[in-house]
Amino acid sequence: MIEIGLDDAAWKDVEPGTEALVDRWLVAEGERVTAGTPLAVVVLVKTSIEIPAPADGVLERIVVDAGSTFGRGVAIGLLREGR
Amino acid sequence: MQVQASAADEQDWIREALAEPVRRPCWRVWRYRTPAIVLGLSQRRLREAVAVRAGSSLPVLVRASGGGAVLVGPWMVSVTVVLPVRHRLAEGALVDSYRWLGELHARVLRRFGVETRLLQPQALREGDAGPAGTAPLPWACFGALSPWELVDDEGRKLCGLAQQRRANGIALVAGTLMRRPPWPVLCEALDRSEDLDALTRRTTDCAALGARGATVDAPDEAHERFAAALAASFDAALARALAPEDATG
Repeated sequence: MIEIGLDDAAWKDVEPGTEALVDRWLVAEGERVTAGTPLAVVVLVKTSIEIPAPADGVLERIVVDAGSTFGRGVAIGLLREGR
Repeated sequence: MQVQASAADEQDWIREALAEPVRRPCWRVWRYRTPAIVLGLSQRRLREAVAVRAGSSLPVLVRASGGGAVLVGPWMVSVTVVLPVRHRLAEGALVDSYRWLGELHARVLRRFGVETRLLQPQALREGDAGPAGTAPLPWACFGALSPWELVDDEGRKLCGLAQQRRANGIALVAGTLMRRPPWPVLCEALDRSEDLDALTRRTTDCAALGARGATVDAPDEAHERFAAALAASFDAALARALAPEDATG
């Protein structure tokens, strides 16, 4: 299972304690995706960021719902790899 | 390239620029003939209520980047830069990608006699860098501070930044206040009239900072000349910053 989230580099120089917001999911649980498909849009430091699928697979589970926030290192979803 | 357009034109241009993979940098410098409220992405659920309060003569849009609401209009000049995903100016940490654009704005404004301070991430980690006695107002872009935005020596905000990162490319946006916006219009539309005094105290503009060619109560012709000169300077500075990649303005 591959964890989906923001790269650690995105959090560099961000104020400690700051959380990102999951603005919306672009893919539903159980949906099959190919590598690079945008899965979700999150917002951090006035930046909206599309999070792409890191591999082909199925979005197994949404861990952080749209409208909720998450901190550094937190997975917002899980991708089951495979065609 | 500098253009006079509406806020809707600006959002359309960004959307179209990111609809396909971005091959080379491009930019626009925007001046607005008419006012509009542009909500941040995460404020889109407010749009209907804001539009009702704003009335039919004031368009309300939602942009695809983060941050609080912006009241655009003839008092503001904005810059949009669209970059390929792996461009040198977008590499590294998210926060770092704002730095060059903030520095470019500081250089251009200095030529007009406006001295500003770039907000270093370290300064923001130590607490709110805004004027003493005021609390941040995150619902308004100009009411809160983020890294590499521009403030005066008292921490009043002059230039705000935002960006969006898509699979096809990156769009960085900067907005600079040339003169004071009608803040009551924004506060009332967002149902935040109680924040009017704080928002006014937390912001400044080129005219208030003594920019050459700008006066606080400038007649329209004088303001037009200043706005055109400032926009042309941003355009030229962007051409220099992005020229090595065969960019298009």
